[in-house]
Amino acid sequence: MEKEQQKRAIEALLFLSEEPVKLDKLAAILSTTAEEAGRRIRELQEEHLSQGRGLQIFEAAGGYQMGTHPELASFLEEAFSEEVSSNLTNAALEVLAIIAYKQPVTRIEIESIRGVRSEHVLDNLLKRKLIKVSGRKEGPGRPLLYGTTPDFLKYFGLKDLGDLPELEVEEVEKEEEEAGEPENGTAQ
Amino acid sequence: MVEEAEYTIKLPAFEGPFDLLFHLVKKAEVDIWQISIADITEQYLAYLQSMKELNLEIASEFLVMAATLLRLKSKLLLPRSPKFQEQDEEEELFEINTAEELFQRLEEYRAFKKAAHYLRQMEEDQKKVFLRTTGGQKVMVFTRQESVYTIWEGAHHLSDIMQRFAKIAAQREYVPAFSAVEDFVIARKAEYIQSVLEKKKRPLPMKDFVTDSNIWELIITFIALLEMSRQKKVKLLQDKPFGPILVLAGENPPEEGESGEGTAEKSD
Repeated sequence: MEKEQQKRAIEALLFLSEEPVKLDKLAAILSTTAEEAGRRIRELQEEHLSQGRGLQIFEAAGGYQMGTHPELASFLEEAFSEEVSSNLTNAALEVLAIIAYKQPVTRIEIESIRGVRSEHVLDNLLKRKLIKVSGRKEGPGRPLLYGTTPDFLKYFGLKDLGDLPELEVEEVEKEEEEAGEPENGTAQ
Repeated sequence: MVEEAEYTIKLPAFEGPFDLLFHLVKKAEVDIWQISIADITEQYLAYLQSMKELNLEIASEFLVMAATLLRLKSKLLLPRSPKFQEQDEEEELFEINTAEELFQRLEEYRAFKKAAHYLRQMEEDQKKVFLRTTGGQKVMVFTRQESVYTIWEGAHHLSDIMQRFAKIAAQREYVPAFSAVEDFVIARKAEYIQSVLEKKKRPLPMKDFVTDSNIWELIITFIALLEMSRQKKVKLLQDKPFGPILVLAGENPPEEGESGEGTAEKSD
């Protein structure tokens, strides 16, 4: 297939697909290499950018997806207002953050970090398919282990888990620190 | 969010005791590692007190933390005996025995709270990008084998599989492996059972109503009989577990209009 044709085909495929499409899948459809397909995608991305188009192609959950440009959000919100789903609660985000960074993790481990029971929040996250049961922990009671799903990556626009910002934990080193140390990151 | 609400509402809602402690630390403008246990305990208790005055329900976790703080404080006040190694019984949610442990836990909570804050920002950003949704009409499936495979791949819950199946079944070209519902509607089976019973006028074993050898036929017959039994149209007898089931016509088939066709179709 000719390069231009490949590009058009990718654009059409991503336009129609609701889910992120993996690069090797695209390559297979176009009977080309993943490398070539990747090149076509980058060309498309540049075109969309340079021509200031309403759609953009981005990486999400290990694949490529087409969506609208963020600048157009206000128009689209107005037009599709009923389809905008509610934001996650603070509690849900806390639990998600713990799972995202510590997975696989049990409910008890999550609750111990938060200091609050979190069963209800976990149920809701399972329902929204942002987390899944990823197995059971060996040990007493073999508790369920939770992990994030591809939908989690999609929801937050992440390529993969490595795309998460680093967790900033200040290690103890209490003895050595001087009292004059400025409060690091305590103000959010 | 808590930080903003603080100025408008007297008592912001906290996600849990760590959230409240963290808030108090921030308000005191000190580093987590420099908190005075005595101060923080006092402020914490004062907060609980004001909650109480406002008749707010105080979750048990908050009380456990209050007890934990008081214990830490008392430990710091009492002279330590080097010989006496305290073996504390484990707390339900937090096993915090020293101030350092408390600080460590607070620090960990702070890190995740910050991560949650990042997630919120990403959520906001992502909310601005609209994706195509066609209500499950266009699932990209390249081969039939793959469509079957993707149903199971990475599924951890029955609901995963069911949702994926529903997506694929929504495609026009999907051909189901069997069409049980088409062929053996329970109501139709019930009509059949009714008519046979009326004709023969004697109890019959369940197997007499099973007209085909496949499992669905058996299941549908059984469900139909259960349903009819509930409606008192038949009586089911079984003298031992797994023994043959005998079907008797109900004494008074009630005409509740539940299945008008069932009685309308008399056999000649």
